[in-house]
Amino acid sequence: MILLDFTLHQGAFTLDVHERLESRVTALFGHSGAGKTTVLDSIAGLRTPSSGTIAVGERVLFASDRRVNVPVYERHVGYVTQDVALFPHMNTRHNVLYGRRRGERLALESVAAMLEIDALLDRRVSQLSGGERQRVALARALMSAPEVLLLDEPLAAVDLELRRRILPYLERVRDELGVPIIYVTHDRAEVHAFADHVIRLDRGRVVASGLASETLESLIPNP
Amino acid sequence: MELWRITYFTVLTAAGATVLMLPPGLLLAWLLARREFRIRVVLDTIVSLPLVMPPVATGLILLLLCSPRSAIGRLLEAAGLEIVFTWKAVVLAMTVMGLPLFVRTARAGIEQVDRRYEAVAATLGATPLRVFFTITLPLAFPAVLAGAVLGFARALGEFGATIMIAGSIPGVTRTLAVAIYSYTETGRDREAALIVGVSASIAFAALWLSNRLAARVATPTRKERASGTPAGLHG
Amino acid sequence: MPRVLMALWVGLGVAAVAPTEVLVSAAISLTDALEELGPMHTASGGATIRFNFAASNVLARQIVNGAPADVFISADEAQMQVAEKAGAVIGSTRVDLLGNRLAVLATASLAGRIKDARSLLQPDVRRIAIADPDAVPAGVYARQYLQAARVWDEARTRVVPVGNVRAAVAAVDGGNVQAAVVYESDATTARNAVLAFVVSGPEAPKIVYPAAIVTASQHRADAERFLQFLRSARAREVFTKHRFVPLGGFD
Repeated sequence: MILLDFTLHQGAFTLDVHERLESRVTALFGHSGAGKTTVLDSIAGLRTPSSGTIAVGERVLFASDRRVNVPVYERHVGYVTQDVALFPHMNTRHNVLYGRRRGERLALESVAAMLEIDALLDRRVSQLSGGERQRVALARALMSAPEVLLLDEPLAAVDLELRRRILPYLERVRDELGVPIIYVTHDRAEVHAFADHVIRLDRGRVVASGLASETLESLIPNP
Repeated sequence: MELWRITYFTVLTAAGATVLMLPPGLLLAWLLARREFRIRVVLDTIVSLPLVMPPVATGLILLLLCSPRSAIGRLLEAAGLEIVFTWKAVVLAMTVMGLPLFVRTARAGIEQVDRRYEAVAATLGATPLRVFFTITLPLAFPAVLAGAVLGFARALGEFGATIMIAGSIPGVTRTLAVAIYSYTETGRDREAALIVGVSASIAFAALWLSNRLAARVATPTRKERASGTPAGLHG
Repeated sequence: MPRVLMALWVGLGVAAVAPTEVLVSAAISLTDALEELGPMHTASGGATIRFNFAASNVLARQIVNGAPADVFISADEAQMQVAEKAGAVIGSTRVDLLGNRLAVLATASLAGRIKDARSLLQPDVRRIAIADPDAVPAGVYARQYLQAARVWDEARTRVVPVGNVRAAVAAVDGGNVQAAVVYESDATTARNAVLAFVVSGPEAPKIVYPAAIVTASQHRADAERFLQFLRSARAREVFTKHRFVPLGGFD
């Protein structure tokens, strides 16, 4: 269960989210500028809300009333950003292993097999294709044994054909690893295919929240 | 031959000074590049002072600080540490005069490192220290190295502060630059000219190397980044 | 090339300044005494005197290279020889102006234990400042003294050569050296260091300050008048006050 109950002010923009997420995959849907990435940044600790609470499972990551603000590096959040950001000075293997925590049992072999990047491990990052980078970034995030996985428009920069090929990997992650996923997108088809729960954001406010099959149909405009 | 002894001494102390510059220099470069804090401009100014003040003025300040008359000087005396008129003064003067150059260059290099890499590394569990040594420093390395070479070159040619706090004691504190001055003062013009030649050659080599390294600063981080709209890490 | 520049500079100077100025290049140990005597001379009708103080070897080189001084007062004969050999000073105008004695200054805590040259070898006297013993008169005299006292070889390792005799005073004043060999006339300028002893006896070097008119001087008459003034009774009083030993001279 993920608790998002916070407000974030930035200049003229205000983000207001009050949701309990209990699904395997929650999609954050909306136009650009709606605040979707800011939500992910707040969960990861890269942005600090003005007030409220953020909790993942039993762990409280942020609570303004109790002055709790867990530093980014202790949040156990796996974040695949929109531009992937693989470390250019390391090869694929070192990228993937960067976040591995001591004592965590997740084996490189199984993650590499699941995402089919075994053959890529010794390549330099610059030698990877777009789709391969996505999978490597996903593997890197997974290898840090996160308690929640944040994906920011993972398929946005990828063509339709490739999208169809990557989606199964995401589904595999969802099904085999049991880590809750929060997934930002502005593409309906992805939501439909992949998510259980949808939250629609418009200019910083939640305008719709519910099961994917239902919520998509109801286009409630923000009054 | 005395010339080679002086050259060896100068290169050795300059190398020592360069090594000594690294920890405080990297810390300052990182602080100034990455951290917001109220006295930031003040800190930047203080660090840059030896670049702008007359070197003898910096030397005089160092001399006053290390003299047994000052509080710091008394502490040093109590600890049995003699600095003024010893090789330690040479290294100190070189370090103080080279540090601003190193900090400037290294800072520019660190500023060029994409903060997104640092942010991603943090989400992967890296503490700020680990981020610095595994992400920031490697990506800023050419600039940091160029800065170190620049600091080394500055240390090699350092005169004003050195003569103030270390004097020109033959065989003890006489560096190449100081020897040129002393020799001309006592009429040994031909030997002075020889030393000028050696100094110029070393300085030329160091600067050439630094420029080569600095030219590699901007390129590697940019070309290997995935294309796409930037993640809104700053809103 | 430097001569052309110097001539230009002198020419501009002459054109710009109305009252006659006499430039005196003098050994740095004469600073206090001469700065008192200059205005005295001007007040009694003489030209305005400007001073250029530095170590005598530096001054000699400047004059040999064409610096526009009118009078040269050196702290030893060797540097005056340098100037005379190059024809930079007028030999017939040369006079021995002053004598001096060496003195040893020390930090207050050590001065009581330093009575002679040998006592400079105590372990507590870690560093001794003298002017550069290779060329600066005060340093040359100091070396001669320590050699005559047969302690030079042992003392060498702790000798810190500095640029001129006043720098040696500053070094012991600041506590960065424990002792300094300077002129007796410098002893009073020290603020923290204390006079340990004055060098006398057979080991003391003979110190002579020769003075001469610079060959290229544009104000020879005024320069000679000042030199004469320096040998007058009034001037001798001032020199004695500053612990110099006036030589020869007249009223």
